[in-house]
Amino acid sequence: MGNSVTRELPPGSLQRCKDWLRKELFATRLDGLLSLVLIGSILAALFGLLRWALLQANWAVIQLNSTLLCIGRYPIEQQWRLWLLAFLLAATAGASWGLLRSCRRADRPGLLWPRNDRIAAAVLLAVCLIIPPALGLSIAIAGRWLAIAVLLMAMRWLLGRIGRRLGADAIKWFALVWPVIYLLGMVLINGGFGLTPVASAEWGGLMLTLLQASFAILLCFPLGVMLALGRRSSYPLLRWGSVIYIEFIRGAPLITLLFLGQNILGFLLPGGLAPERVWRAAWVLTIFAAAYLAEAVRSGLAAIPNGQMEAARSLGLSTAQGLQHVVLPQALRVALPVMVGQFISLLQDTTLLSLIGLMELLGTARTVMANPDFLGHYGEVYLTLALLFWCCCAALGLGSRALERRLDPHHLPNLR
Amino acid sequence: MIAAIAEEATQSLILEAKDVHKWYPNGFHALRGASLQVQRGEVVVIMGPSGSGKSTFIRTFNALEDYQKGAIQFDGLPLGNDLRHIEAIRREVGMVFQQFNLFPHLTVLQNLTLAPMLVRRRSRAQAQQRALELLTRVGIAEQAGKFPGQLSGGQQQRVAIARSLCMDPRLMLFDEPTSALDPEMVREVLDVMQGLAADGMTMVVVTHEVRFARQVADRVVLMADGEVVEIAPPETFFTNPSHERTRRFLDQIL
Repeated sequence: MGNSVTRELPPGSLQRCKDWLRKELFATRLDGLLSLVLIGSILAALFGLLRWALLQANWAVIQLNSTLLCIGRYPIEQQWRLWLLAFLLAATAGASWGLLRSCRRADRPGLLWPRNDRIAAAVLLAVCLIIPPALGLSIAIAGRWLAIAVLLMAMRWLLGRIGRRLGADAIKWFALVWPVIYLLGMVLINGGFGLTPVASAEWGGLMLTLLQASFAILLCFPLGVMLALGRRSSYPLLRWGSVIYIEFIRGAPLITLLFLGQNILGFLLPGGLAPERVWRAAWVLTIFAAAYLAEAVRSGLAAIPNGQMEAARSLGLSTAQGLQHVVLPQALRVALPVMVGQFISLLQDTTLLSLIGLMELLGTARTVMANPDFLGHYGEVYLTLALLFWCCCAALGLGSRALERRLDPHHLPNLR
Repeated sequence: MIAAIAEEATQSLILEAKDVHKWYPNGFHALRGASLQVQRGEVVVIMGPSGSGKSTFIRTFNALEDYQKGAIQFDGLPLGNDLRHIEAIRREVGMVFQQFNLFPHLTVLQNLTLAPMLVRRRSRAQAQQRALELLTRVGIAEQAGKFPGQLSGGQQQRVAIARSLCMDPRLMLFDEPTSALDPEMVREVLDVMQGLAADGMTMVVVTHEVRFARQVADRVVLMADGEVVEIAPPETFFTNPSHERTRRFLDQIL
């Protein structure tokens, strides 16, 4: 007898992988067959796509038009303003990110923001390193993108350090920086205050899409909340007004409203006051989105028991204070997934603007495809468009899920 | 001489409800001329079968329910439709609910400091200090950083009591404070309420807890069908009630 001691080891990862496969995919003969067929078709589709993307597709159409797809026909000599805006946005986003991850938890020691934000940081850096060379951008431009990414990461690190000393109120105050940056961005894009004006007809591409979507999202939010509160108000005129607004807007297709807006706003407002086409469209999008948002908020309000408002009122809070501090924070948290769903479809609805002649992402893409030099390269352009939209929507979705977890006191890890 | 006595009596009177009638929008006549006077420092327990209007009655005292006929006065201030009076009275009257109604998105400490900071304009530090004092008093200071959903029912109700006390109320209303609790948690909440009464807090309590009524109440009220049937000190109320309706009620619960 040797002195070898047999110890039972946990199964190795290979063994666990085999067990998982057997249990989940090949448990019965039918399961196995189904798994094989499905895996086969997925691989075939993937292989076909890759073969087309790498061998057949001609990506020059994207490389040569990347600027056009990004910002439309914005004058070259004014593009420094957009770069400045990009740097400002990166700095603000980095600072917010840093502050959020430095937040302490209220209920126990530790930080609020999940640890896996390092993965998000790595992905962002990788994108900024890989995409510019892939698009064949010049060293100068690629360098700027890299600088933007570095600035964002630096602010995230810096504010993450400082934020721990600043406390929770700092975050509330810092949120006010965003509207300022947004207005500043409007001025930078639009001109004025000493900057050469750039007509909105020259804005285009991804920039116009994001501008329209963000404008509508930002403005439809307060409007939607007010409509939802109006619909539940005990004051009849407010209630009927809200109901009529919501039901009328929800009863009409967006494209109809867009055409209506283009044609009617000019008559409704005295000459010169009617906003330009881009802004008319933005307002119609806002008005449209607010009606749907109001219904989402209303469902959130309905989920909060009456006792919450009664408790707030019995403590001496006014109705407005009760709404602001007690009911709305909870109702919006409940409505958040639905609201973000609305925002995502709003972002996608901006493609309808191409039908009223605006050069947003889809409109620009169609002019690219109509260019005789690039005839027939539909696949490349549409795939790029789809990926761009997917990235924006995925970012919205991930952001909302992180926010949801952060706001939900019932899903604290130590509660289980 | 008589005038002086009368004046002293009105000064120690904190709440007076006179001939209060309430109809619900569907026409149901919930309160049919209910009247009650509460003196400063007094503990009044309201009992009665379910549907007798006792919850509705106590909720009219801080205008959570409106009424169509009669008059309610709190400390000389009429409680009618004037929103300024209503808000002034709500600042001075605390209420504890059957379902606790804590704010689930705020920590226990934030639940306690919200109203003092917004309504009484106290600084955060002041409000937190007072909140911790009161949490210590109800015996759960160590839970200050938790969310309400992480506490037991009894703990939640004690937090709700502390939350009301943070506003330094002159009158506390309790609307069946132990009815939603598991039996083993009733005691801890009643002990806190008994302590409050011993410290001289004026309280109106709707409850089914006979032991609490016997030990703590100065007067016990029986309500039935929207009317106040009997008001008596606990010994008389439980052993020798003057009304047939009270006797029937006691037969059912004792």
